[in-house]
Amino acid sequence: MAPGSACPLPPTPPPSRVLCCCTRWSSGHQEGEPSGQRGPAGPHTSAQRCQYCTLVLFQKTPEIYSVELNGTKDIDKTDKGDGKEKYRGLKNKPSNCKKNHQIQEIKEELDLNDHKLSNEDLEKKYGTNIITGLSSARAAELLARDGPNALSPPKETPETVKFLKQMVGGFSILLWIGAILCWVAYGIQYSNDPSSSLDNVYLGAVLVLVVILTGTFAYYQEAKSTNIIASFSKMIPQQALVIRDAEKKTIPSEQLVVGDIVEIKGGDQIPADIRLLSSQGCKVDNSSLTGESEPQVRSCDFTHDNPLETKNMCFYSTTCLEGVATGMVINTGDSTIIGQIASLASGVGDEKTPIAIEIEHFVHIVAGVSVSIGIIFFIITVSMKYPVLDSIIFLIGVIVANVPEGLLATVTVTLSLTAKRMAKKNCLVKNLEAVETLGSTSIICSDKTGTLTQNRMTVAHLWFDNQIFMADTSEDHSNQIFDQSSGTWTSLSKIITLCNRAEFKPGQENVPIMKKTVIGDASETALLKFSEVILGDVMEIRKRNRKVAEIPFNSTNKFQLSIHETDDPNDKRFLMVMKGAPERILEKCSTIMINGQEQPLDESRATFHTAYMELGGLGERVLGFCHLYLPADEFPETYSFDVDTMNFPTSNLCFVGLLSMIDPPRSTVPNAVTRCRSAGIKVIMVTGDHPITAKAIARNAGIISANSETVEDIAKCLNIAVEQVNKWDAKAAVVTGMELKDMSPEQLDELLANHSEIVFARTSPQQKLIIVEGCQRLGAVVAVTGDGVNDSPALKKADIGIAMGIAGSDAAKNAADMVLLDDNFASIVTGVEEGRLIFDNLKKTMAYTLTKNMAMVFPFMLYTIVGFPLPIATVTTLFIDLGTDIIPFIALAYEKAERDIMNRKPRHKKDRLVNKPLVLYSLLHVGVIVTLGAFVVYFTVYAQAGFRPSTLIGLRVKWEKDDVNDLEDSYGQEWTRYQRQYLEWTGYTAFFIAIMVQQIANLIIRKTRRNSIFQQGLFSNKVIWVGIASQIIIALILSYGLGSVTALNCTMLRVQYWFVALPYAILIWVYDEVRKLFIRLYPGGWWDKNMYY
Amino acid sequence: MRQQLRSRRAPTFPHGYRYRLDDQDEVNQNYLADEEEEAEEEARVMRVPNLEEEEKEEEQKEEEEGQGQPTGNTWWQKLQLMNEYLWDPEQRMSLARTGLILVIYFFFYASLAAVITVCMYTLFLTISAYMPTFTERVKPAGVMIRPFAHSLNFNFNVSEPDTWQHYVISLNGFLQGYNDSLQEEMNVDCPPGQYFIQDGNEDEDKKACQFKRSFLKNCSGLEDPTFGYSTGQPCILLKMNRIVGFRPELGDPVKVSCKVQRGDENDIRSIHYYPESASFDLRYYPYYGKLTHVNYTSPLVAMHFTDVVKNQAVPVQCQLKGKGIINDVINDHFVGRVIFTLNIET
Repeated sequence: MAPGSACPLPPTPPPSRVLCCCTRWSSGHQEGEPSGQRGPAGPHTSAQRCQYCTLVLFQKTPEIYSVELNGTKDIDKTDKGDGKEKYRGLKNKPSNCKKNHQIQEIKEELDLNDHKLSNEDLEKKYGTNIITGLSSARAAELLARDGPNALSPPKETPETVKFLKQMVGGFSILLWIGAILCWVAYGIQYSNDPSSSLDNVYLGAVLVLVVILTGTFAYYQEAKSTNIIASFSKMIPQQALVIRDAEKKTIPSEQLVVGDIVEIKGGDQIPADIRLLSSQGCKVDNSSLTGESEPQVRSCDFTHDNPLETKNMCFYSTTCLEGVATGMVINTGDSTIIGQIASLASGVGDEKTPIAIEIEHFVHIVAGVSVSIGIIFFIITVSMKYPVLDSIIFLIGVIVANVPEGLLATVTVTLSLTAKRMAKKNCLVKNLEAVETLGSTSIICSDKTGTLTQNRMTVAHLWFDNQIFMADTSEDHSNQIFDQSSGTWTSLSKIITLCNRAEFKPGQENVPIMKKTVIGDASETALLKFSEVILGDVMEIRKRNRKVAEIPFNSTNKFQLSIHETDDPNDKRFLMVMKGAPERILEKCSTIMINGQEQPLDESRATFHTAYMELGGLGERVLGFCHLYLPADEFPETYSFDVDTMNFPTSNLCFVGLLSMIDPPRSTVPNAVTRCRSAGIKVIMVTGDHPITAKAIARNAGIISANSETVEDIAKCLNIAVEQVNKWDAKAAVVTGMELKDMSPEQLDELLANHSEIVFARTSPQQKLIIVEGCQRLGAVVAVTGDGVNDSPALKKADIGIAMGIAGSDAAKNAADMVLLDDNFASIVTGVEEGRLIFDNLKKTMAYTLTKNMAMVFPFMLYTIVGFPLPIATVTTLFIDLGTDIIPFIALAYEKAERDIMNRKPRHKKDRLVNKPLVLYSLLHVGVIVTLGAFVVYFTVYAQAGFRPSTLIGLRVKWEKDDVNDLEDSYGQEWTRYQRQYLEWTGYTAFFIAIMVQQIANLIIRKTRRNSIFQQGLFSNKVIWVGIASQIIIALILSYGLGSVTALNCTMLRVQYWFVALPYAILIWVYDEVRKLFIRLYPGGWWDKNMYY
Repeated sequence: MRQQLRSRRAPTFPHGYRYRLDDQDEVNQNYLADEEEEAEEEARVMRVPNLEEEEKEEEQKEEEEGQGQPTGNTWWQKLQLMNEYLWDPEQRMSLARTGLILVIYFFFYASLAAVITVCMYTLFLTISAYMPTFTERVKPAGVMIRPFAHSLNFNFNVSEPDTWQHYVISLNGFLQGYNDSLQEEMNVDCPPGQYFIQDGNEDEDKKACQFKRSFLKNCSGLEDPTFGYSTGQPCILLKMNRIVGFRPELGDPVKVSCKVQRGDENDIRSIHYYPESASFDLRYYPYYGKLTHVNYTSPLVAMHFTDVVKNQAVPVQCQLKGKGIINDVINDHFVGRVIFTLNIET
């Protein structure tokens, strides 16, 4: 039985009908209150939210929990109670102790009581004058004392340290040891025999050169990608209008000092923490500080003990939306509240990225293998009575042969290529290694506003003629299909158009309507655009219906009213239009318009309430609309309306309709969420919004899927109390911040583990940190999106923090590993896909690299133990590692995915980049074939020159004696030392080319891990062929171009030797195809488990 | 309604367990150890939709174990892991698996060995046992001198036999193969001044021309057993490196000529060459390789430095001269020439 089938829900095409009913939503009208009503609704919610953050910041002062009560009903009471509970809950949390301690310290520094002081006390305290401001001299003094008014950037590792890290990181330390051993060996040789060859010095120098080159390269790559960010985050310097020496001056806000008197106006960023001295209609957007998106009124009255909530304080980095204000700077730079939160973020530890862990693992494997082989080798050679010095040289050879010198630098290149690709898709990756992290992400904690939603109010539903109509909420609004023929709609549209103060900014004639900038608040903007789309030129309509009087929205009235002349020249009546909180509007009405006809309201009251509840239950903000034609005899054309005395009727109006608005999900989001889910990623929504809104959006966005239910849904469905429902029967859960506060970490873990679809509503941004920690306790790799300053600790804490490029604050961007340039959740999915792809492709690269190790270590073994002339020199192995293999490494990064990588589960932490099957298959299967192929070429070259393999055994000692110039070969011919040397170099070249030829096959087979190459398409990745061409060209250049340069130990090789290893290359290909065939034939079988890497 | 809700998941448990039990029975009876796991895996996959919770529990358990394990880097835990790998008491199949792996690797390497054997065999098929495929690496011919004692500096004091005795021993030893009796017994006396070409099959044994010790006259050690070292007139033998099929061009024998390499030309006032022609007679060429040309003895030219400045180091360069002879390769000081120093003290 499928879960959910016991409680059949009506088939639900539009998510609006998912809820059976909404009895619990007694205070639903809160969300339905008119947008303009910033007073009660705004501050209330913000107060509530501030609580959470201030709870953390200011827990010593429990009185801050007293919430501004303004008659907005029961929720406030619960809030108040909750405050105390929260406090208790927090105290009980041992995990928070440390953080609290940190915050405690901050608190002690932050003894803000400036908001309580009178202006005179303030003047005294800061030695300033409210009228004349500071003197320039005093300001300069203070500037010197306090430093500039800017957040100190996060502590950067000095460039030299970064550079040195590259120099000793990874394999470099091994190579340094090798180089030093080389020189030590030469030193010993030199002390014995001053004429000894300089080979070891050269080798040491080459190794150092390799380290420095690859280190510099990796450093350069890192620096380049960091620079992108640096340029990105560089801001236009902010200006501030300040009164100094009794003059108004515009100075860079960095130069502000404590005690400065600044003036701010709508649109400005608040340049520092400011205590307001005077204000006119000032509203600020505190979202970056508190996560609260509602604009908040600011005045110069001290209204609350808590500095974050009192109205006479403005904080650094928040924005003034409208109005003007004058204030005194009381904190600058890092001592501002924002500065302190930002510094809190840097306190949260940076954790290693999964890919860094994997690469470290790989380095450990390779280093471990090479050092242990080297040491075993050393012991063998010493016990074979080789001089210790020679043994050391062999040891170096083994280490160098084992270490893929070029790999780490190319991994950086690969990552930065992916980063570039992602940047094109609007994911800017700050930390290169974070490229892959998204791929292994198993939980995404996403913001709602802006990320999942379009971040603008949009008309979603209309109710008139006793019917609910749906409006198109897609990004362009193009498809409005509701019935527009009714007379009621004509009236409603008129009210929408006229009772609206929002206007388009001039000069945007060619901009699509939905993209035009509007002056006005969110709801009015929504209405303006809605009417512009449907009716055409709204401004023209407004011009025709001249406005004669207007009462703007205010919190006591809860309505907005305007009186217009009509555009009908025969109709001399005035039209009064009104919009506002639906109940308030309904109270004022006595009639209702149905199908264009006015009817008494009585019967329709019930349908009104049903509709209102339903729309409210969708988490939408509902507005009521009504109008009244003022009788022409009472109100002649010359009548003078006085809005203060209200010399016109405001009751017995005609109710026209309801209209509800929501911030709709972006159209790409549902699909993206589905993709995440099929990719095994849990998407958790964390929002400060009301649970109902949150849930509605979650349903629309697919975060709560259509057929899953929350405990409340089940309870409602079965008509039982919520407590009676078995919690685990519900797939989905909506958890509020208050509930979260009461949970123990264990309960949170349980919640996170047992519900696949979770929405956290009414959470403070600080609680995000708790959620992230909970997810990480479950072993998940967590991605967190955020934009506010207060998100930055969570962003830092997350395995990958994703900041919003447009809405994000600088602190958030600093703390994040990735920046979404378009703030779009769908971009994260792209990131996930790229991350998974890069992991797969790095796996292929690692396999490709490891394969040749066998072929490079074996020669040393046979050289020392069997006594063959050296098949390949240490320097020649570097040609492979740093020459022919480099571009193929990068080419593999361009490989397309074999299967839909978005259909599999996120990588488990135990699923290593370099796992056992990979190592075994690369070394013991393909590696062995490569070795054999290379040795066949080696034997061919020697045998054809006169040294048959049987002669070669044990030949090493004589072969390398400089004074033996008549060494006999298998035919009795005699060789001088140099002739032998030259033959040896030919052998190196042949061996090198044999490996190269087989690496071509190796490269081709690494294109896929499961599919046949022919399924994948041999030519599907053109870069692979560039890689192959590069291999051949580099080999050609080394052999024929530079064949005469003795130091390189390369010679011109006979053409036929290039083809000797070809059968082995083909064998590799065939063998790998067979392997893949068996893997495909018997998935999950023994072969699959042991041979699939 | 609520009961219905509760029962939604309940019946699936027994069903799931039954499934597994059945499966195991079957497995125990019919399947090989290796396939058991596969079957179980399948069963698990099939249970998934019904037993999510159980699955989760399992996962959690796994995770708990997982948390315990990776931290265990201690030897003891590694040993335990190793032990488990060898013999897993729960699955009772690790040894079987190890065995299977060994078998697979055995076959894999056996077939690789077969492949390489075939390759090497074809390689030998294409290579003649008598004639090297390419001789360009060993050409042009190198030159070596005797006596040779790991050094090309001849430092000795005439009056102290200990300082030159080892040269004499070395020369004597070297010339044992050139003893007249031995040469006459083994080799043929072929006509001088022309190549000693022996046609016939590659694999036929070839005859070698005599090069008798007595050809070296004063440097043969027959008359003067100290090869002139006791009188400060040392003999040094020069031989050309053997190269299969090498023939001096156009019938001109290769000559040897020595002179002071650097410094006063008059430091060496006279050198006697034996044979007197100071050349390698054509009859010693071509060389047919050691497999068939068993008794071939390289021709020699002896240089008798009868009058060399004493008590100072004299660098001597002996070069081969003749058509097509290269004696000025920069990197190789032993091709067509040899450089050594004489420092004869009295």
